[in-house]
This record gives sequence, structure tokens and C-alpha cells, in this order.
Amino acid sequence: MLSHTRYRLKQHHKFEQDDQKYVADLETGDIVEINDIEWEILSRYESQTHHQIVEELKKDYKLTAIFDGIERLERLGKQGSLLHPVVEAVEQIDPDRKLKLLVPFHFTKEKSALGYVTNLNRYQSLTHLAEFADLETLAFPEAEKEEVQDLDEVRVRNISGAKSGTLMSPWYAMDGYDGILLLSQFLTDDLSYYRIPDVPIVHCIEGDQRLQHILLRTLLTLCAFQSSKDTLVVKASWMKAWLAESGASVENVRVIPDGIDIVESTGDKALAKQHTAAIFEKPIFVEKPTIGLISGFEPNRGAAWISEFARTNPHLAIFVYDAMLVGAGSPSPYHPPENVAIFNIDDEETRAILPVFFQALDLVCFPAMPGTPLPIVLEAMAFGTPCIAMTKYGMPPEVIGAGVAVEAEWDNFGNFRTPMVKLSETINKWLQPSDTRTQCQGFAKEIAQRYTRKNAAQALIQVFEEGFQRRINDFRTERTLFAPIFCRRYEPDTGTLRSSVYRLGTNRYDQFENALAEVLADAHTPAEVESVFKHFQRKHSTPICDTIRAGNRFPDNKKSVTGGT
Amino acid sequence: MIGFPKILHQLHLFEEEGVPYAADLDKARVVELSAVMLDILKLAETQTDDVIVETLSASYKEEDISGAFERFAELEREGLLFNRGEDLERSLATESKWRKLLVAIPGINVDSFFDIETLSAGTNMALAHMITHLTKYADLHFTGSRNRKITDGVYEVDIGIGDLVRLRSKIAETYYGILTLHQEHDRWLLPLYRHPEFPPILVQNHAPRGHGGQAINSMLRHYAAMRDWDGFTAPSDYVRDFYSEYVWDPSFFNTLRNGVDATLFKPMEKMVAKKEIAAEVGDDRIESVPTVGYLSRVQSEKGASVYVKLAELNPHLIFLIAGPNMGRYASRKLPDNLVYIGFHPRERLPLIYNAFDVYCFMSMSGEETFGLTVLEAMACGVPPIVPNFDGVPSVVGDAGLVANAENFDHDIATFVSYPCPVDFSEKINTLLNNADMWQVLSEKARQRAALFTWDKTARRIVRLFEELHQKKKLANPNRLLNVFTPTQPSEDNARRGEGTSPLQYMSLVLSMNAHYERCLMRDAAYPLSVEDGVALSILKNHTTREVEALLAALIPDETQARTTLKRVRGLIDGTA
Repeated sequence: MLSHTRYRLKQHHKFEQDDQKYVADLETGDIVEINDIEWEILSRYESQTHHQIVEELKKDYKLTAIFDGIERLERLGKQGSLLHPVVEAVEQIDPDRKLKLLVPFHFTKEKSALGYVTNLNRYQSLTHLAEFADLETLAFPEAEKEEVQDLDEVRVRNISGAKSGTLMSPWYAMDGYDGILLLSQFLTDDLSYYRIPDVPIVHCIEGDQRLQHILLRTLLTLCAFQSSKDTLVVKASWMKAWLAESGASVENVRVIPDGIDIVESTGDKALAKQHTAAIFEKPIFVEKPTIGLISGFEPNRGAAWISEFARTNPHLAIFVYDAMLVGAGSPSPYHPPENVAIFNIDDEETRAILPVFFQALDLVCFPAMPGTPLPIVLEAMAFGTPCIAMTKYGMPPEVIGAGVAVEAEWDNFGNFRTPMVKLSETINKWLQPSDTRTQCQGFAKEIAQRYTRKNAAQALIQVFEEGFQRRINDFRTERTLFAPIFCRRYEPDTGTLRSSVYRLGTNRYDQFENALAEVLADAHTPAEVESVFKHFQRKHSTPICDTIRAGNRFPDNKKSVTGGT
Repeated sequence: MIGFPKILHQLHLFEEEGVPYAADLDKARVVELSAVMLDILKLAETQTDDVIVETLSASYKEEDISGAFERFAELEREGLLFNRGEDLERSLATESKWRKLLVAIPGINVDSFFDIETLSAGTNMALAHMITHLTKYADLHFTGSRNRKITDGVYEVDIGIGDLVRLRSKIAETYYGILTLHQEHDRWLLPLYRHPEFPPILVQNHAPRGHGGQAINSMLRHYAAMRDWDGFTAPSDYVRDFYSEYVWDPSFFNTLRNGVDATLFKPMEKMVAKKEIAAEVGDDRIESVPTVGYLSRVQSEKGASVYVKLAELNPHLIFLIAGPNMGRYASRKLPDNLVYIGFHPRERLPLIYNAFDVYCFMSMSGEETFGLTVLEAMACGVPPIVPNFDGVPSVVGDAGLVANAENFDHDIATFVSYPCPVDFSEKINTLLNNADMWQVLSEKARQRAALFTWDKTARRIVRLFEELHQKKKLANPNRLLNVFTPTQPSEDNARRGEGTSPLQYMSLVLSMNAHYERCLMRDAAYPLSVEDGVALSILKNHTTREVEALLAALIPDETQARTTLKRVRGLIDGTA
């Protein structure tokens, strides 16, 4: 495996004698026999990246042989011969240069599974990102005529002649990109990009209502794949809070809400209410105060909750935005109470009509949970409507100053609870004119200026830059350890065997758990090692757990991954 | 003065940043030189000390030259630059006809293997026979500190134990395998397994247990560290099976039975033998009374005190003892029917065995795995009586009697067994009172001993190396990539309220391997259990046997643990 550890060549001398190639390590005095490939690799090792070495040598040698050669040399390095592990910064990028980002995508595959809004937002954010970065994607045409043309703002790099696709696309991503922007929600091929050393990855995850059931798994998995140079971007603060609550490390999780586009307000709320009433054929929208409920509920449980809410508040006209209860793909016809109108965007026409309803709203109400689309919430508020956030994480920072929070509970299976009476009281209070309400209205109006697509694109670029900074600290310093051998140990007193670790060099048995953590840390992130130890900790019957629990010895960061020799 | 001219190692001289160096290819070491040293080296193979000094005195100061000589003397002591001993290069090139094996048994004088008379311990004796017969199938190069030919096909080479790792490429090129002896305190062998370059290493293991578990633990460490293509030999099926209880993969233990030299050890006229011994020790009773025999060191571990009891229990029989001396028993009052018949050179041993009517073997030590003397007695047609302990009954088969023994579950001091004197005594009398039975067993013993030849042992070694080479071809690297991740528990599990953490954990293996190849068909990542994932991760830089130890700790149910290892191994081999 290409190591993530970097090495520098020591002072050495290559030579040939009797048709055999050798390299002498002048620091240790060792002489190592090498083959032709290793000779070639050594000649390039100091000045070229792994990628460049392989690309250059693959004309003359088999790929596997080249990789094996690099592996062997780096194994020697690990043993202290020829190469030295280094801890030094990689080159900084020029701040004036536009970043070059790779955007691998399988949009067509994902498109149908995502809501119209999500697809639209994704397209829009790429378009705006192109202002600040060069975007490129990879294509592997079988023949020249199949070459893919550029897709709007994204340039297509056609890789031809890759011999029957031996190397997967992450290989080509190693070459010449400042970063990789991953957009896939389904953990398809994108996961393999995480095995590329050095290139920061930003992975954006949508809070699409349709993906709710897999969202936590997706987020947790991505957190596990990340190294410190990588960033996970979620679209709303509550997604990060939820992730932290689930026990994941959120150090490298950033919140970047999608930008929104706002149409000019007509400023005539009465007219908007009339239109709404007419479109849904529900006069209540003219007669009663109008609440906008932006739903992120799991559809079945959500339908029940919406009905209960509507019945508890018969004095309100309730406009529900829900991506799953109506329109194509809704699970079963939902017949809401009389005072409810449900709407969903699924094409340009419905997209165009939505602002009419939003201008009719007196209050926006939303559950702060993963399926709730923040851009829709912001858009609903942007005409100057305050909000009530139903939340267990406190008022979401995105809307602070523009409303109030009501405590709510929900779990990962879609059950949502909030004290209905308290909610009704709060709504009634906030429908009354007051100074606070006026203030909030003013604040809500500013939302449109704050959450622009340009700002979102700039924030994303900023995240890449942070990734570079962290990458510089990302080198693992590899100490020369006394190699552990896992073996079993016979205990004459009891006549039983137990697992242990024997260290070469010290020639002693050692702590089994420490060695396990140390060896795992070689190829896995601290968070992964923690996962392994927590897994066994939970299985109370295994002998290792008692020791771990007693000493709580699993590593919580790199520093504590030490070999207790 | 150092004694030029000398044969130099294969050297490559070069300069780097103005400093001259010599790369000593025979020792895989670089030596930094000075200008004067470089000039001396150029003359070293042809000129004498005096000529060299004279030639160079024009260009260098006298003290520089003498300093260089001193440095060369130092380097020679370290085994660098100069050939030590004979120039083997040429003789090896012309004489070698077989595969070469490197025999690494540090701490043992090589010559002693070819001077059997000096050997007394069974293990060394067995090794000596084995080595002698092995030369029919392979050239043997013993690790040592000089180059010389010992006998046809047997050499000592200037490769020290400390040189092995550095010389691994050369060793791989030259030798078909490395043959060595398991000695529990040795520390040089374990690190060798970490280098895939070495040819197969076959480790002879003679002592399965004892020493407070140290022998087993050392063996378990080797088992864990060994590469897929290394292995142990055990002198009997018993020992092989004994180890199988401690490990999951018994294929690492191969029975390598000892042999017996049937041309030397054969039946002779019993009365003639008895007469000769009787005359030697001056005791007529040997001719007239049935004899029981003991041939070993006279020590507690070998059952000497039990043998004394047997003599006390059976005053109507004569109990003969052949051994180096009577040890601590010499100062005791011993029963009158116990007769010490002295220490005899190897060629006289057939005579000794033939003077016994029955041979008693009663070792109690944890190192007893075979019982070479039992086989020798059998070859002479003497029926043996052995304790039901460790490897010895499997050597005897149905050609002798097996007496009861109390076997201990673990060793105490050096004992792991106590042979039952009463049962031994009964069996001795049964055999001596039943002429037909004696006749049948005597014949069976002879026939069975004929099955154990040193030639077979030697051929088996060669065959084992061939098998290890096959295993080497089958070994696969593990290039799979996997991660560990928390995951959302299913609704069912959550309802059951398992544990306090809301998360479960799993591993994912990618369909892309470390060489950026797609090695699995479809999905980008396949979920695995954490147990599978740990096995997969650790198998990148550790052996399957190490993962065995790991899984044994992580998975309480052994069947499940074994299945896990088998499954992960299959995935690795299948995607290689």
C-alpha cells in the first residue's frame, strides 16, 4: 500500500557490479540489492511524487511491479534503511492562484433519488463555485469519439488509453488538483478518493428529506474516512449538532448553508394570501393567520404529526412545505385536515409559484431536524417573517435573532414530539404585533443578503484552504518501534493460553491492547481505532474489554497512541 | 603488520562527496576508507606488507600507513573486506552439485557433528546422523566465522548470525532453505521471519515442553512470527499432535522421525554379548541371570531413581546401567543386583544392547520426544518397555510394552511425568517369564526399527523444503483497504436497548485496493463486522498466526474466531 508516511532518501550510492544492482546507505553502512525498477524508482524518489513515478515508469514496467518496488523501498525505510520518515510541511499553495478542484460525479445516478430542490441547489452551487475555482471532472471514454464534452462550468478531463481501466479514477485525482469536491450522497465510488494522500477532500452532504433514513449512516461513515486534511460539509447547523450527539467527532465538520435566490417582494401580503386561498381553494388562508410549516418529517409519522398540529390549532391556516407528502413519489395519498394546504416543488413552475405562498405567511415554523431543507426555511423567512424553530439543540445559529425556539424531541427513526400546548401558546404570542416581532421581521429580511450563493461558494473555498493548513500538520511521525508480534502465551500455573504481544528488540511480552492500538493506527485514523475499541468495549464478554474499561486505554488522539514498551 | 597479500571480498570502490568507500558485497556493508587505505586495498591481493609500506611511503606519512594497517586489522576481526579462511569461491563453483542449505545452529561446534564419538546428548546425536545423511541430498553450509570445507558437501561459511538480515538477498539467491534448531533462549531467529526475502526456514523442535512453560512459549512466538512458508519439525506424531492443541494451524508442525543405523545396530548372539560384558565388569551373574538394561545419563530426569527401585523390587534379576558415570548415585548404597557396566564408545553400543534381555526407558523430562536409544535397542532385537508418556510409545508401536505413567498437566521442576515402578516391574517379569512373547516382540522390534532410517529422515527434510517452497508460491499479499466506522443501530436493536452508546460499529472494505485497482466487482464499499475488519487490517503487516492470537482474544467463541480468520484469509487470497 502506498504509504501516507513520507520519506526522504538518505545519503546513498547506487552502483552495479556483475550485472547486479545495489544501493548503499551511507548512514547505516547497509548495502541492499535492488532490481531495475527499484533502481529507477530511487532515481526519481526525491524529486517526483508517487504518481509521477508510476506514470513515468508504467511504459516500461508492469504496474504491480512498480507499486511493489515503491512498497519494498518504503518498507526498508520503515526498518531504518535507505529512507527516513520525514515530518515536514508540504508546499503551500499560492493564494493568488485559482484553486483547481476535481469534482467527480455520478449525478445522473443520484438525480432521481434526490428532491428537485436538492438537485437545483447542487447545480447552482457548482455554477457559483466556478467563479472561484477551476472545476474539472474525470471521464474514461472507451474510444476517442465517446469523449465527454464539458458540462457547463465543469471541464471534463477525458482519460483515454488507461489500459482497460486498470487504475481507478482516484489514481488520476492524485495528479494536479488542489482539492477534491465530493458531492455523492450514496457512498458509491467516491469513498475510494479518501485513500489519496495529501489532497484535501471536501464532501458535501445534503439534508434531503428523502435521504433521512440513511443520513446518519452516511455522515458517520464519512467521518470515519476523513483524515485531518478532509472536511465534511453539512447544510444546516442541526445536522452537525445531531452528529455530535451521535458520538462522532465533529472536529472536521463545517456548516455551510446553501445560498438562496429571492424574488422581489410585492410587499402586498393581503394579495399573497388571496392568491394562496384561491390556488388551494381554501378561504381560511384569507380569514386566519397563516403559518408556514417547513417539514422535514419522516412521511408517515410526519402526516400524523401535521394532522394533530392542525387539529390542535383550528384557528390557523397552515401551509405545509413537504417534499414527500404530495407530488410524485409520495408514499400514500395524505388527506390533511381542512385548515392545511400542502405543497412541494418538483419543477420550474412550482418553483416559480412558491414565493407567492411565502409572502402570505405570518410565521414560519420548522423542526430543526435533518430532513428539513434549510434553504426553504430561509426563503420562507426572507420576506420578513419570523420563525419558531422546534429543536432540541437550541436556536439554530442560521436564524438567531429572527425568531424563537420551542423545545422538541425526535429520534433517528422519525418520531417527533413537541409539547403541542406550549407550541400553540408560542405561536399565538408571536402572531401578535410586538416590538420583538418587528425586530425579528427586520432580521428575517436580511437573511436574503446573508445567504447568497456567492457566500456559500466562498465559504467552500475557505474550507479547502483550511484543509491545506491542516494537511501541513497531518504527517504522522513514525517512531521506530520495537515490532510487536501477536502471539499466545502459555501460563503454566493455569495451563491455559492467553493472547499477548511479544516485542522484538526488548524481547519481552507487552500490553496486548496498546500494541493493537499502535498497529491499527498505522493504517487507520484515531477515530477508527476508537471505533474498534468501543466495539469490543460494548461486548462485555470478551476478555479484552475488561482491561480496556479498567484503563480506558483506547487512544483518543494520535499522541496517546504510544507503545508501552 | 597484517599479513598481506590477502584475498579480498567482492568489493565495489566508490567515492561520494570526496570520501572513498568500499562496498563489501560479501557482507553487504559499506566501509568508509581513507586515501591511504584505498591505495593499500589496491595492492592488498598481490603485495606483502613490506612492499606495500615501501610503495606507499613516498606518498603517505609512516603513521598514516600504520594507522591504516591497524584499521584493516580491526575490520578483518569484524569479518569485513578480507576473506577469512579458505578461498571457497572456486571450490564451490566446481564441486557443488546439490541444492544448498544454510544450517544455522549458533553455539555449537560444527566439527562435533562429524565426530560422533564426542556426542552424548540424544538431540546432538540425532542431528549428527541427520546431517551426515542429508549430505546425500544437499550441500550443507554451516554459519560460522570463516570459509572452509569440512568434508564433501559440507562447508563452514563466513556468515555470522548477525550477518543474516543484511545478506538476505544473497542468501535467497544461494540457498534453497535455512535449517535450524529451536532453542528457546535464542533471539536471533525471530527477527528473520520479518523478511520475506529469506528462503524457507525449517526449525527442528525437540523439546515440546518443560522449563516452566518457556519451551512452549518460545515455540508459540516462533509459530506466530513465522512466514507462511516456514515450519517446524517434530520428532514424532505425538509432538506434532501435542502442539496442535495450542495452535489453529497444525500444518506448521511436521513429523520428522529419527532413524537408526541398522548396519551398526543389529541382533547378535546374546550369550556372546553377555559373556563379554560379564568378563569386563567381573560379574558372572550377567551370564546366568536375566538382564534388564538402562542406557542413558544416570540422572533423576532420565528415571534413574525409578530404575533403582525396580532393582530393589526384583532381586531375582540383574539391572545393568550403561552411562557416562553413576553421578550422584555413585555415593549411595545401591542394591546388589544393580550393576554399572561403564561408558562405551558408539561402536560398542550394539554389544551393550545385545547383553540386555529387556530395555527399560523411563525418562520423565519434558524434553523427551522420541527416545533414540529405544530405537537402537529395538534394532538389536531387544524388546523395550517404555512409559506411556509423550512421544516414546509412538516409536515403540506394538513392538514392546508400554507401562503406566502419571503424566502431569504441567511441568514441575523439569518433570512432566512419573513412570509407575510397580507396572514397570510387572511388565518386566511378564516379558521375561514368557519366552514366546519375548520372541515375538524381539522380532517385531527389529522389523519396526528397520522402518526408521536416517536416509528417510534426510529425504523428508528435502521434501519438507520443497513443500515450503510451494507454500511460498501460494502466499498472497494483502492490499485491501478498509476503514472502521460507527453506524446507526437498527430500530430493533435500539428498542432492545443494547448498551449505553447509541451507536454500533462496523468496518467497510473498499473495492479499490492499495494499488488503485478495482479488486471487487460492484459497490465501492462492502460492510464487514469489526472483527473481520480488524483481522483484515492486521493481516497487512502481520502473519495469519498473529491474527489467530488476536482473534482468540477478541472473539470468545473459538469456532467463530476460526471462521472469521478463514473467511478474511479467503477474501485476501481471492482478491490478490
